[in-house]
Amino acid sequence: MSNALEVAANAVRELRPGELVIDASATALPGLADRAISGLDARLMSLFASDEREVAGRFFLHHVWSLPQLKRFLRVIAPIDPAEPSFPSISAKHPAANWFEREVMDLFGLVPTGHPNPARVVLHDDWPERAWALRKDFPAQGAVARVPGDYHPFRPVTGEGVFQVPVGPVHAGIIEPGHFRFGVAGEPVLYLQMRLFYVHKGTEKRFEHLPWRHGVFLAESISGDTVVGHALAFAHAVERLATVTVPPRAQALRTVLLELERIYNHTADIGAVATDVAFTVPASRAQALREGLLRIQDRLFGTRLLRGTIALGGVRHDLTSQGRQVLSAHLRVFATEFDALIALLIDAGTFTDRVDGTGILTHQAARDLGVVGLAARASGVDADLRRDHPHDGYAGVRFEVPVEDGGDVRARLMVRAREVEQSLLILHQVLDAMPDSAIAASMPERLPALASALGWAEAWRGPCTHWVATDTRGEIARVKVTDPSFLNWPGVIQAVPGNIIPDFPVINKSFNLSYSGNDR
Amino acid sequence: MLGIIAKSLGTGVLTEADPFGGRASFGFPVVDFSRCTACGECAQSCPSGAIQAATPTEGCKTLSLSYAACIQCRACVTACPEKAIGVSDGVEVAAYTREQLAQTASFTVDPETGRATFSQDAVHHGPGLAESAFRLRDRIRGRLGRSLHVRQVDAGSCNGCELEIAATANPLYDLERFGIHLVASPRHADVLLVTGPVTRNMEIALRRTYDAAPEPRVVVAVGTCGCSGGIFGEGTYAAIGGVDRVLPVDVYIPGCPPRPQAILNGLLVAMGVREARILPSREQ
Repeated sequence: MSNALEVAANAVRELRPGELVIDASATALPGLADRAISGLDARLMSLFASDEREVAGRFFLHHVWSLPQLKRFLRVIAPIDPAEPSFPSISAKHPAANWFEREVMDLFGLVPTGHPNPARVVLHDDWPERAWALRKDFPAQGAVARVPGDYHPFRPVTGEGVFQVPVGPVHAGIIEPGHFRFGVAGEPVLYLQMRLFYVHKGTEKRFEHLPWRHGVFLAESISGDTVVGHALAFAHAVERLATVTVPPRAQALRTVLLELERIYNHTADIGAVATDVAFTVPASRAQALREGLLRIQDRLFGTRLLRGTIALGGVRHDLTSQGRQVLSAHLRVFATEFDALIALLIDAGTFTDRVDGTGILTHQAARDLGVVGLAARASGVDADLRRDHPHDGYAGVRFEVPVEDGGDVRARLMVRAREVEQSLLILHQVLDAMPDSAIAASMPERLPALASALGWAEAWRGPCTHWVATDTRGEIARVKVTDPSFLNWPGVIQAVPGNIIPDFPVINKSFNLSYSGNDR
Repeated sequence: MLGIIAKSLGTGVLTEADPFGGRASFGFPVVDFSRCTACGECAQSCPSGAIQAATPTEGCKTLSLSYAACIQCRACVTACPEKAIGVSDGVEVAAYTREQLAQTASFTVDPETGRATFSQDAVHHGPGLAESAFRLRDRIRGRLGRSLHVRQVDAGSCNGCELEIAATANPLYDLERFGIHLVASPRHADVLLVTGPVTRNMEIALRRTYDAAPEPRVVVAVGTCGCSGGIFGEGTYAAIGGVDRVLPVDVYIPGCPPRPQAILNGLLVAMGVREARILPSREQ
């Protein structure tokens, strides 16, 4: 590995199991990124800054790579001198870094030099210059006055019959806010521009002012449909920091919860794709199936959307043997009905006409943009943290990672359908062989000071990663949250052009990205 | 085609005759103040500041609980050393003001032993429910009739509330049978169903959506974040907080997220068809 990266063998440290770090200079970052990708098939999982001026007198920039062949994450850390607040950009060669680097610029005031489009991404036009919200000296409380300005001009469209269609931020359905500009010639879309971050809630700053034990509740609210995924990623990071081992039964129950979350979301999304092509019978069947799952979750865990189920050190609710039987029986009935739902959809020519070849994200675009999760797998990218970096109980269960080549709406639908089958397989394996142990390990009084750890989980949409660092008191100094949506929105921008506007809702729904997870 | 028709007929009617009155294993925490010693453990354990312990004067302690800020995490139930915090099973909670969702109890501290004893009943501030209901009905009287057109506005939510709002339209709850329609534009809307915390970046869009809705317009705040800012807080650089920091709110539906029947109930309260209820019944 050190050969592939062309660094000294002792430069690579194994900070924690599965997590390697390299200390580098900022100027070495682009070369390391090139060699990690070409030599180790590295995939960018996150890129962020931390303000450590109080303790180390400088900022740090972190590149986080997944190295699936080595089953390790690699974090490359480079110090940034506050007197020269800039770092070399890798976005021109590796577009996956594009939004990450601009986010660092917006929230830390560190400039990515050589970035092909160094415009604001998180900050809206009325945010003042030189106010960097994630710097430590920026106050946690207090509104920031709006300033007039136009820093985010949409690219003009010209040509005969060419015009722009603005949509949002308030949409027609019950969905989250975001602004889309379609450049169209007649019905076909020439290109799509996006303005997101309407629901930026300052979540990462909020973590820094909550007691670490309460962080898991904030993690649950990063994206309301990925409660277990984000709670697990946060819990994993904190547990790794505290070197706490999660008991086997808790690991099994976490696997159950994460797979239940996957199934109910995939079912809902399959129904929503049917809704968006006005195929109402399967749409309402899917809604009823989803409601059935939420009710069984409510009955077993006291919560419909699985909130409050993950505890630091384990889980909060055990599943009795009777509860396991109830769940297994429900899932068996569900499996039959789910198969019927999928058959209803793919046997209907009126349905397949709308989804075949619609909204294609090519394999090359998915690789270049660093698209992750189910959207990547529908474009032939074979990656899944449950297999590549096993967490919780996944090392001990048999399952396949479904991959499709089409990259269109149908491929994303089929990946969902096949993943539900695999999830059922996983659930039955885990429920039939639930280990006996405590359901939570006790956490220490305080976390180690000035330490950090990475936590990850492959949630239904894709990988959720949290990097948690502590201050001198062992309280949270920084949490970097990466939701799969942040890496996948640029994929939607690529998938839409060439399609007609009426197909946008179904393309968008086939990705079903989280605005809240993206904006935080 | 025939298969689809057969499937529909075979499935039959899924809609539940009465969606209300269902019991949840956890609605909201209910404090039995007579057993409470105002030790403040619950306030310490609360991640969203829904429970606050204070010592306003020497010899006096207070404990306040606000359902507007409660994210239903149950941490207080486990934290209470006196087992004074119970579990409610009622979920259909709605109110007309944020204050109606809050209660405060006072305790006298014995100077000798330092032990606090409950001295004054839980107090609800602001106008009572009946008065608020009358005022809302008076404002919308006759104009909305028995149908309600609803525009949902996500002003900063984590999307949990959106999932449950969408669920009210599923075949089991079927909100349309109550005359409630989800519409695409604020121009068609009687009610804005707003989730929060209202972010700095959504404030202007939210105000414009409100301005676009015709009078009499009713604003319903959904979810703990919409009622109070929730775990994201109020007045940060990015989150303004509860919907009432930006718009006049007529009905509050707390919960993280509120269940579909709680949302349905809140909408019927906004319509003047059902009475608002605050204190969940106690199950223990």
